[in-house]
Amino acid sequence: MTRRVSRRGIAATALAVTAALGLTACGSSDGEGGTAAAGGEPVAGGTLKIAFWSDNPSFTCVDPFQTYWIEHRTVIRNVADSLTDQDPETGEIKPWLAERWEISPDGREYTFHLRDGVTFSDGTPLDAAAVKANFDGAQAVVKETGGSAYGASYILGLDHTEVVDPSTVKVVFSAPNSSFLQASSTTNLAIISPDSYQKTSKERCLGQYLGSGPFTLESYKPNELTTLQKRPGYAWGSALSENTGEAHLDTVEFSYVAEDSVRTGNLVSGAIDIAWPRNPFTVEDRELITRSDGVLESRPLPGVSAAFYPNTTAGRPLADVNVRRALYKAFDLPTFAKTIFGPDYPVVAGAFDSTTPFFAPQSDRLRHDPPGAAKLLDDAGWKLGEDGYRFKDGRKLTLVLPITAQSVFGTELIQDQFKQVGIELRLEVITGAELPAVLRNGSYDLTSSYFTRADPGALQFLLDPDYANSKALATNASAPETTAEIKGLFAQARETTDDAQREEAYAELQSLLIEQGVVFPWFERVQFAGLSKSVHGFAFTSESFLKLNDVWKQ
Amino acid sequence: MTRYILGRFAQALGVLWAAYTVTFAVLYLLPSDPVALQLGAAGIETDKLSPAELHTAKARHGLDRPVLEQYFSDLWGFLHGDLGESIAKQKPVTALLGERLGPTLTLTVTAGVLALLGGTALAYLASYVRWRPARMFLTRLPSFGASFPQFFIGLLLIQFLSFNLGVLPATGTYGWKALVMPAITIAILAASQLAQVLMRSFDDTLGQPYVATARAKGLSRAAVQWHHGFRNALLPAVTILGVLIGLTVTSAIVAETVFSRNGIGKLAQEAVLAQDVPVVLAIVTLAAAIFVFVNLVVDLLYPLLDPRIVHGQRKAVA
Repeated sequence: MTRRVSRRGIAATALAVTAALGLTACGSSDGEGGTAAAGGEPVAGGTLKIAFWSDNPSFTCVDPFQTYWIEHRTVIRNVADSLTDQDPETGEIKPWLAERWEISPDGREYTFHLRDGVTFSDGTPLDAAAVKANFDGAQAVVKETGGSAYGASYILGLDHTEVVDPSTVKVVFSAPNSSFLQASSTTNLAIISPDSYQKTSKERCLGQYLGSGPFTLESYKPNELTTLQKRPGYAWGSALSENTGEAHLDTVEFSYVAEDSVRTGNLVSGAIDIAWPRNPFTVEDRELITRSDGVLESRPLPGVSAAFYPNTTAGRPLADVNVRRALYKAFDLPTFAKTIFGPDYPVVAGAFDSTTPFFAPQSDRLRHDPPGAAKLLDDAGWKLGEDGYRFKDGRKLTLVLPITAQSVFGTELIQDQFKQVGIELRLEVITGAELPAVLRNGSYDLTSSYFTRADPGALQFLLDPDYANSKALATNASAPETTAEIKGLFAQARETTDDAQREEAYAELQSLLIEQGVVFPWFERVQFAGLSKSVHGFAFTSESFLKLNDVWKQ
Repeated sequence: MTRYILGRFAQALGVLWAAYTVTFAVLYLLPSDPVALQLGAAGIETDKLSPAELHTAKARHGLDRPVLEQYFSDLWGFLHGDLGESIAKQKPVTALLGERLGPTLTLTVTAGVLALLGGTALAYLASYVRWRPARMFLTRLPSFGASFPQFFIGLLLIQFLSFNLGVLPATGTYGWKALVMPAITIAILAASQLAQVLMRSFDDTLGQPYVATARAKGLSRAAVQWHHGFRNALLPAVTILGVLIGLTVTSAIVAETVFSRNGIGKLAQEAVLAQDVPVVLAIVTLAAAIFVFVNLVVDLLYPLLDPRIVHGQRKAVA
């Protein structure tokens, strides 16, 4: 596939090529482009240069537990291992540092049996005491930050941790939390050396910690360069990696390039090996990369899709469920994805991105149907006025959508689509600093959010007012009865350790969210990567981060 | 003269204090606070936290104290060289400035020298050349350079020199190669503004009677322009030198972003976005200090360039 594309003259239209390539890339996550095309034996050695976009301007941090910056979660994935790993294909949890585990019937106790012979990069053993030090340290950070540390949601309900014997550790919860097993596979709960917890939380943010991963964090210069060195003697990669031993690469360098065009240009001109954008590549950039013999990889980021959440408080137009249902029919998602992100871009199909475990697509109910929308609105009393917009009791059907410079993605197109059925979408450009007040005052009708985590439980941090990151958003998003139903389904899923029951609860939840107009899916969040032709063995993790064990250069 | 300098020094301190205080007030009056912003960037709104938890989160950065207490204790620290600790970057501000100042100074000084040489040479040439079309072209050039967005110039340079020719790196903070393009990007604007002022003042100066006299004495055009015109024409240009230094500092923000250079400009941009109060305060005060210093030097240069200007003569006038 890759080889055929590389012939510059043959491609009748670069667009068609990109489309074909992108389709394969979007559909699969096994890094077909890299390994398959090369077909050779991995070559050891070399420096891999990756360019991210800017470092986090609000919070400089590479500490596993504290950071939420997805680029840095890629760095951490290669420096620190986790108790478990998650299969990107099936979402199943597989052994890693823990060879096996048991969950007590009441879902409150997780006992992990650790693999023997694992050491941190300073030679100290990764044993039960080390794991306990991590969970104790995490709880300390939660306390220190007033509960605002990012990792807090991953250890929800954690009571204490017990060392059973040197290779057995028991994590005890005060309330069942079934998504903890998935949490144990994430970078947020990656295990670092007990000594690391002697440092302050700020020092750990600046990279002063050690992991047991295939690479060591050699240096972290914020917004400039992060350097990883191969860890000699590494031999405990998860079974999900092809290479469970020492890494092929000697050194990996992550640089931070704010400008998208410069980053892509760097890849095309050979200055870097992988361009790792935050926002999807533009169609032009994708053409540029494939035309210069590069390879495109992509995988939707699992978790809550980019979506709008309504303000259903009384007096607001979206308080009426029929108006909310009309919005689904007014929003032409396939056209939106095609126009804004390119012809082959996946179409969002629900509250979650398609790579999320227990994902249940709702495409049928998200179908574009302007006449249907018009009928619903007519029935709800919103009649077409002379200027093409709808009115009720002299009031225009206007929906306010606050947007920040970072969240503009094609909002004008939605504005236009809504106008077709007589709804005025007013885009109010605000700064990130103003958003909390807007949410608190309820002076909006739609607001956007997302959350990256390969577990549907992630959504409770948006929609369950008891756990939500924004209480206002969660409370306003649905009527009290619906909120109670949503909370019930989350609790049901949280409290059972039986996957079939979780699946049932999450399926019901996903259906309810669209049925009641609680979530308005906007687009699937796709992680792209542009690879030079010398990069082989590329693979995404279950959270669409980059795993470097298998990568080699030639 | 000493008295004059002392007076100017006191004035400079006043300006610095005002810059510090106004910045502090503006940052405090913004609709959000740094902790809310930091949490907001992580998708967490402050309404998730109980009042006690919020207090803990704020106390971590010393933001739980009353405003006036924050102001006076920060100012006191400032006077003692303790610029506080960055909220977003987990580091003392002095350490951050130490890391970032070098690359920016190298950049702005290089760009300043380039602008000075380029702008002067252009203006000099424009007033020397007599062939009308060439002169027209040269005199129009600065307005062109001044109205081109710097961002665009930077991207054009990257496109040609990095991506097409591959001679210079598109990004980077260290080494002369990484310095060339950002310096040129900044210098084009500064040189254009300098050239605009210089050209006009050349025209004025060369129209003066003493120039006609010099020509009448039989001096060549070149000699007249060099000996009689240049030094006198320089005066207005020196005046805008202070402004130009300020310009190179603000240009550094754009250039450092486009070329991914880790300097003060980029730090300023990040700090403003994150409402990182200690860092913004330090940078604003630093920039104000440089500005004040350059303007003082410019004022002291005047008498050397034009003996008709004398400082500290207020008494005589009164």
